[in-house]
Amino acid sequence: MSDKKKLTKDEKKMMHEIFWNSFMLEASYNYERQQALGFSIGMWPAIKRYYKTKEEQAEALERHMNIFNTTPHVVTTITGVATALEKEASENPSFDKSIINNVKIGLMGPFAGIGDSLFWGTLRIIAVGIGLSLAQQGSILGPILFLLLFNIPHMLVRYYGGVYGYKLGTGIMQQANNSGIMEKISKGATVVGLMVIGAMSASMVKLNSAFVFTVGDQKIPMQDYLDQIFPLLLPLLYTLAMFLLLKKGFKPTTILFITIIFGIVGSLIGII
Amino acid sequence: MGTALLVGAILGILWFIEKMLGTPMVIRPIVVSTIIGLALGDVQTGLLVGATLELVFMGFIQVGGAVPPDVLVGAGLGTSFAILSGSGAEVALALALPIAILAQSLKVVVFIVRSYFMKYAMSLAKAANIRGLITLNMAGLVLQCLMYFVVGFVAILFGSTAVEAFVNNIPGVIMNGLQVAGGLLPAVGFGLLLLPMMSKFNVLYFIFGFALFAYVNLPILGITLFGVVLAFILVYEMPGKNVAVAGSNIDEEDLFDV
Repeated sequence: MSDKKKLTKDEKKMMHEIFWNSFMLEASYNYERQQALGFSIGMWPAIKRYYKTKEEQAEALERHMNIFNTTPHVVTTITGVATALEKEASENPSFDKSIINNVKIGLMGPFAGIGDSLFWGTLRIIAVGIGLSLAQQGSILGPILFLLLFNIPHMLVRYYGGVYGYKLGTGIMQQANNSGIMEKISKGATVVGLMVIGAMSASMVKLNSAFVFTVGDQKIPMQDYLDQIFPLLLPLLYTLAMFLLLKKGFKPTTILFITIIFGIVGSLIGII
Repeated sequence: MGTALLVGAILGILWFIEKMLGTPMVIRPIVVSTIIGLALGDVQTGLLVGATLELVFMGFIQVGGAVPPDVLVGAGLGTSFAILSGSGAEVALALALPIAILAQSLKVVVFIVRSYFMKYAMSLAKAANIRGLITLNMAGLVLQCLMYFVVGFVAILFGSTAVEAFVNNIPGVIMNGLQVAGGLLPAVGFGLLLLPMMSKFNVLYFIFGFALFAYVNLPILGITLFGVVLAFILVYEMPGKNVAVAGSNIDEEDLFDV
């Protein structure tokens, strides 16, 4: 790995830009693509450096507009890896660009897992613990200490994570070039990516049936039956239905609209 | 009027800082209540209410796509009402949670509105218009800040009774419908993500990941590790056989056909 390799002055400048651009990740968080808009803006320092024509830049921006979601504090590491991949893609015409998104998707799940437990679960709780006791005594140092204890590690991880991710990505690429390993990485990344999307769909898509059967005097909630057959069956079916509609050529906006109507109408007639 | 403007502005600005500095936790009650206390001239009550609410709201965090009760509005308005009415932390506590839950559904609406922005974002990306993308991103942020400003302003101006009446007057069925839709909308995003990746044969990997969460309730990180091991086995341990596992050569072509 190229950990010992120092970044050039130019690369350092790019990493600074990536650091600053990464702060806007969640400014337009939304349901359709989550943090995608912020992430593509975060990729811009790399995109403008590696692609000179407007067409190539547009293609790269579009690529990074795919749904994305991870813990904001650790996003730069993923940006760094994706930057190294974009660099390779711009230099090597035979590079399969779909790998970039697959690797990104493979990383966002584990980084959300590590990031959430590290920043939300551990660091925040420690900072709250120390800040609270001071605030309860009426000291203004309480909130100040809370913010410092949380944000000093946050900024360090945000900056050095990006540099580390970039070096890691470049290292993988150098090895990959001489052993024809890319197809394997692509296959592997697809398997991991699909499993992670499956798991994230299961944890984030929410649908319960409120429908209740009446058999004689007995009231049986349909959800209980469904849970016995396959817990989270409804979210699975809904996600697959969305996939099929998209595959059939429906526009995402149309499907969003359908979903909102489905929610309100379903709630009105009492099935969900 | 002046107080209402002040509280509204604090809520809007705090949200702006939170999302412009990569989630530095300035919307946690311990910070929000202190700042409201400073602004309304009672730092001590602010600090005490902040400490109390921080303990209550400690678990309300946004992880993944779930939207928890809105701690910013809950803490901001709870503290304001406590200080303005001259009562202590208990009043703040009683008011904070219902307010936070109401603000949560407004947040859902903002997230839905911004979903509609994404079509425009795609057209900007297609034109490589980075200025446009940044402006759109900021517009999305300002929209939510304005929402916070209006919520703070209106709530302080009309007082807690009006807040309560408003919450009670939204038809429950509409609230529920929006909530349901909010829970379903991530499916559209995941569908988009699956579009270039999934073919007839590798849908099983997707279902495998889904089932590991649904049945075993493994954390995402654990499922990812299983995925990595499975990928390693398929790619390295069974070279030549992995085609049979995945289905066929057509499948391989589908994968790369983006």
